[in-house]
Amino acid sequence: MELFLQQLANGLVIGSTYAVVAIGFALAFTVLRVINFAHPDIFMVGMFAGLAATAQWPALGLLVTLLAGAAGAGLVGFALERMVIAPLRGRDVLMTLIGTLGVAIVLQNGMALIVGPDPVAYPSLLPRRFIDIGPVALTLRQVANFAICLLLLGLVSLYVRATSYGRATRAIAERPDVAAAFGVNVARICQITILLASMMAGLAAVSVGMLYGSASAFVGLLYGLKAFICMLVAGNRYFEGVMVVALAIGIIEALVTGYLSSSLRDAAAFFVLIGVLYFRPNGLFGSYNT
Amino acid sequence: MNFASFEPVIIFTLLNVVMALGLYITALSGQLSMATAAIAGVGGYGSAVLTVKFAWPFLPSVVLAALAAAIVGAFLALVTLKMRDFILKLTTLAFGEALAVLAFNWDYIGGANSFTGIGLKTTIWTALAATAIALYIAWRFDGSRLGLASRAVRDDPVAASAMGVPIARMRTITFALGGALVGMGGAIQAHYMLVISPHDLGFFVSLNFIIFLLFGGLQTLWGPVLGAVLLTALPEVLRFTNEYRLILYGLIIVLVVLLRPDGLLTRTPTGRAIRILGFTLVKARPVAARAAEMSAQPLPSYLLTRQAAE
Repeated sequence: MELFLQQLANGLVIGSTYAVVAIGFALAFTVLRVINFAHPDIFMVGMFAGLAATAQWPALGLLVTLLAGAAGAGLVGFALERMVIAPLRGRDVLMTLIGTLGVAIVLQNGMALIVGPDPVAYPSLLPRRFIDIGPVALTLRQVANFAICLLLLGLVSLYVRATSYGRATRAIAERPDVAAAFGVNVARICQITILLASMMAGLAAVSVGMLYGSASAFVGLLYGLKAFICMLVAGNRYFEGVMVVALAIGIIEALVTGYLSSSLRDAAAFFVLIGVLYFRPNGLFGSYNT
Repeated sequence: MNFASFEPVIIFTLLNVVMALGLYITALSGQLSMATAAIAGVGGYGSAVLTVKFAWPFLPSVVLAALAAAIVGAFLALVTLKMRDFILKLTTLAFGEALAVLAFNWDYIGGANSFTGIGLKTTIWTALAATAIALYIAWRFDGSRLGLASRAVRDDPVAASAMGVPIARMRTITFALGGALVGMGGAIQAHYMLVISPHDLGFFVSLNFIIFLLFGGLQTLWGPVLGAVLLTALPEVLRFTNEYRLILYGLIIVLVVLLRPDGLLTRTPTGRAIRILGFTLVKARPVAARAAEMSAQPLPSYLLTRQAAE
């Protein structure tokens, strides 16, 4: 029972990170009809932007690192939208997929050129301390990561449901042509969506870097595939659904690691995907017609 | 310039051409399969098991492996028959990953430790022969009634169906024939790499073939050939740029996608104008002239219906 609760908590922590990256994927896919393969690498860029900021101004602490991560990722995301995604609007989904994949290759290898291909140490910025919640022991960093990700997810949910921009976002997801006819500035919303998704990924990336104490130019691959699966399993109609599925996949992975073997961990997500797609091809919570 | 040092590049390029042609045939009925690497893996594992565990000779085991890949391809087509476009692509993706997981956990074929000990049977001549076979099959299929029918399914399934083209059968045929070519390429590649691992079946390997197709252009059979040749050879040609190699590779892909969204090779049946620096060297022929030219020619036999032929 104790192992179960401990793995449940570990799963929630890692699942919340999957959720933030998956929401970025889902936002880009629903609003722009783009499978943004560069998104996980924007996450990676955010991680290193935060690292650069702490190396430059070590005194300023956690907040500045987080902001730098968001700024770096946001900048790259915005440039990506302007230079690659916007010119390919209305093209086949696969075309933008290949385009963003090219950008991903450039980002990964460009970053490997700057920081080297091996993982580098990431400063922790938080004291090394354990927090006991009942029988479960979590490190302060795990709790901080969970809190940051949960806060981001809450804010996205609020943005999409309760602001006028969020309503425009949902309108475009439903019917881009009708939304445009009703005066929604589609190009503007697209820019904002990618910017938001990228900045969120940047924040989460800094927090993940601190959690594991290391950063690598190729870290994006791992999170990218998991986030992609989360989006497919949930379907893209409800962003909250994507969040729930991401948390669930994190928990399933942690339980598989705890009770079966860590080599089966990466396969678990695919088993979930195949099972769900077989019974509900539009995802658990349904998808927009794309 | 030492020829022998280029041999691996040439062989991998040729085999990628074979598999890209297989995917081209699959895509002719309108659906890009995202499980190419997994189907190549069926061929690779199949031929490896036959030669190593059953001591079969090279050629029959490649043929049987290609057949197995064709059956898996046909099965994939039947499973995805009723699915809509995007879900179909995702299902092929999940299917490929499922095969990779299966290979990972099946100890008879090596499991996570890969299948090792495959004999070196592939030479540059084997690869050339396979390329010739694949080109011939793709070329004949392209111009045949079946090829035209599958294009009709691709362009408008409803209209094709109304004209009596059996959509389900066309999908199955293209997936099976494409799967056979992909499986043949995979089998021959396994006998050159000498080891095949579950990771070779994964999504990112499949994605390579999709990039070949979209980079070269899907409109003619030469597009995938050009894409496979350029993109396999490109990292080698760029080797002199050292660490900038993959960055340039990525940039070139992005530029082609942005500048030629239909791929490098496209097709204009009416002929196209050749312009250099704003000067028109050759004018585009008007569509009417081309149409008149075409209607003056007799119809090729495969376009004639039975009654008209009689």
